[in-house]
Amino acid sequence: MNFLIKLQSLDRRWIYLLVALAIIIPLLIPFDSKTYTTEPVENIYQKVDSFSGKSNKAILMVFMHDASTMPELFPMEVSVLRHAFERNVKVFTICFTPTAAPLVDYAINTVREQFPDKKSGIDYCNFGYKPAALMVPMVLGMGEDISKAVDIDSEGRKIANLPIMQDIKNYNEMNLIINFSGSDYGYTWITYARSKFGANVAAGVTAVMAADAYPFLQTGQLLGMMAGLKGASEYEKLDDVFASYKDANYPSGRPFSKEIINETIANDTFKISDQKVYAFKKARIGMNSQSAAHILIIIFIIIGNLGYFIEKSKQKQDQ
Amino acid sequence: MKRQIPLLIVIILGFIFVVHTFVPHKISQDFFDWYQDWIKAMSPFAVFLGIMSLLMVHGTKIIRKATNWQYSVVTLSALVFTAFAGFMWGTQEGTPYMWLFAHVQMPMSSTMFSLLAFYIASAAYKAFRARSAEATVLLLAAIVVMLGQVPLGAAITHWIPDSAQWILNVPNLAAKRGIALGVGLGMVATSLKILLGIERTYLGSD
Amino acid sequence: MFETISNLVAALLTLFIFSFLYKENPFYRFAEHLLVGVSMGYAIPLVYNLTFIPYVYQPIFLGHKYVFIIPAFIGILYIFRFSRNYSWLSRYPIVFGMAIVGMGVPLSMNTQVLVQMRSAMAPIQDINSFLIFLGTITILMYFYFSKAHTGLYGKFSKIGVWFMMIGFGASFGYTVMARISLLIGRLQFLVGDVLHLIK
Repeated sequence: MNFLIKLQSLDRRWIYLLVALAIIIPLLIPFDSKTYTTEPVENIYQKVDSFSGKSNKAILMVFMHDASTMPELFPMEVSVLRHAFERNVKVFTICFTPTAAPLVDYAINTVREQFPDKKSGIDYCNFGYKPAALMVPMVLGMGEDISKAVDIDSEGRKIANLPIMQDIKNYNEMNLIINFSGSDYGYTWITYARSKFGANVAAGVTAVMAADAYPFLQTGQLLGMMAGLKGASEYEKLDDVFASYKDANYPSGRPFSKEIINETIANDTFKISDQKVYAFKKARIGMNSQSAAHILIIIFIIIGNLGYFIEKSKQKQDQ
Repeated sequence: MKRQIPLLIVIILGFIFVVHTFVPHKISQDFFDWYQDWIKAMSPFAVFLGIMSLLMVHGTKIIRKATNWQYSVVTLSALVFTAFAGFMWGTQEGTPYMWLFAHVQMPMSSTMFSLLAFYIASAAYKAFRARSAEATVLLLAAIVVMLGQVPLGAAITHWIPDSAQWILNVPNLAAKRGIALGVGLGMVATSLKILLGIERTYLGSD
Repeated sequence: MFETISNLVAALLTLFIFSFLYKENPFYRFAEHLLVGVSMGYAIPLVYNLTFIPYVYQPIFLGHKYVFIIPAFIGILYIFRFSRNYSWLSRYPIVFGMAIVGMGVPLSMNTQVLVQMRSAMAPIQDINSFLIFLGTITILMYFYFSKAHTGLYGKFSKIGVWFMMIGFGASFGYTVMARISLLIGRLQFLVGDVLHLIK
């Protein structure tokens, strides 16, 4: 009992060391764990799927973050891009903070390593960095005419002249906006693009923001949500099971089905180790460390509280 | 006059925007197109704010030889060198400018935030106590959500992720909706105050 | 070789920042100041290339649309923000950006209040929808300070507190997850990209 009380004054640096070990050991000794998918992530996946091969449909990925929240958001961005490239869905990207600009390129280049035939201006287009002051005017402007509102892409080309813009005018075509952010759940897009133009808005958020977004998920103002590393790991898995799955019956990937995803969990198929491309399983590898770290923190909370209650009862006895 | 004219601009343009929200007339659309072009032409200069603020804070420290002024030299040198690298060798992939971003800015920025993991673990150990019934409920909800998100929680029993989802979809949703309604009304009220010229703090002091 | 050295530089700077966990030290302070400088310095050429050139230089000097000199001039007034005597001039570019709140009033009202209220008023179909209804109403009661929280009213507002505690607990659980994820990202870099120990 006294031991637990003494533990209360444990130097914080020992706690830091334990946290680091809880994360590093699962990274060094990889193992397969099951990834369960949830409805908010599946909704985004199905919406992107519904645009497959359609020249008059596109998605817009908004990179509203810098490198600080990259571990959570980057695997999501890679997974969505991979999905779009697999399904021949047109992709547009944009960012409103200077330090996000290279992250867009990194995400596209990471996925293009596996899809070298995808061409800028034809299959995807990076609108590039635009100043934050232009965000609301651009969100509204794109509701009328994307070429006019955005004007030029990251390579300085007139957007109106690009082949990708054929059949794409405004949110009627670019009908899914996925906002990746560490500090909001796409509020600007919900307020201006959804309320005024009826665009579908989804969010890729850091887990910190996730709980706040549930009212907007229920009302349908948010079509779906990927929450933190868990959300990214779910999308990675969905890519593996559907869009990237190839066999004689499905030479270009198979359609989404809830039965199939449940089957993969029950039969323990589509393991993390089956995926050979590291960038496409990074979130799932990270989730193993996440398990260990969460257990450690729960143990911390329990030990801390045990010590607190023992100390309290001892003080009462002394009085 | 120094305040009145800017306030008048906000009020007039603001009310035109209110009309634009509801009236998709050509005049309203032309107004919005004009606004877009002008605001784009103004936008690059906002970067001055950041540069000047940094120059003033660190420049003053260097001139006054304040404590640890040497670090301010590091900040300003890094600012000048990075900007110079961008103008001199370009901003494309493979240039010194992008090297600085990928191997200096990016790792440090993400490491800075990752420190929070250690602090939250330490806080969990030393500060999160079930001192009252309310605090106990908070802790229990947190533990269920934490376990429900990770593969291990689902491996123990499917009740854990199911309960976590229920917490998020029902009581959490109700809590966040109640708060969101309050925040939303507050935001609308503040916007209205700006529009009517009552809220003026964004103009700064005279 | 170059890639290895570059990764080592990134790893070293990462360790400089982690060193703060032990205690405040010159390595950390150096890294912190370097980060601020590089971040700001990084933005300048990007803003110049991607906004000044297409939105100011090209329309005026190549497109000969001289009317754009006016907004460009208004934009330049930002420079006076920190001036003691002329800071009032910087209000002009600020108010141009601020004016769009006119659109924010009706649209925010719709997004954050009306749509949420409509959903809160939906018919109660099961125990969950009843709980959501109860939670929303009691929290609003809790935040209504014009009436004393006593008697039956006080009991209802207390129910709101319980709902909020569960909500804050959910946020806390998610926050732990977020912070750990960020550290996982950095350790994946150190263990995987630098030391090549992740298979």
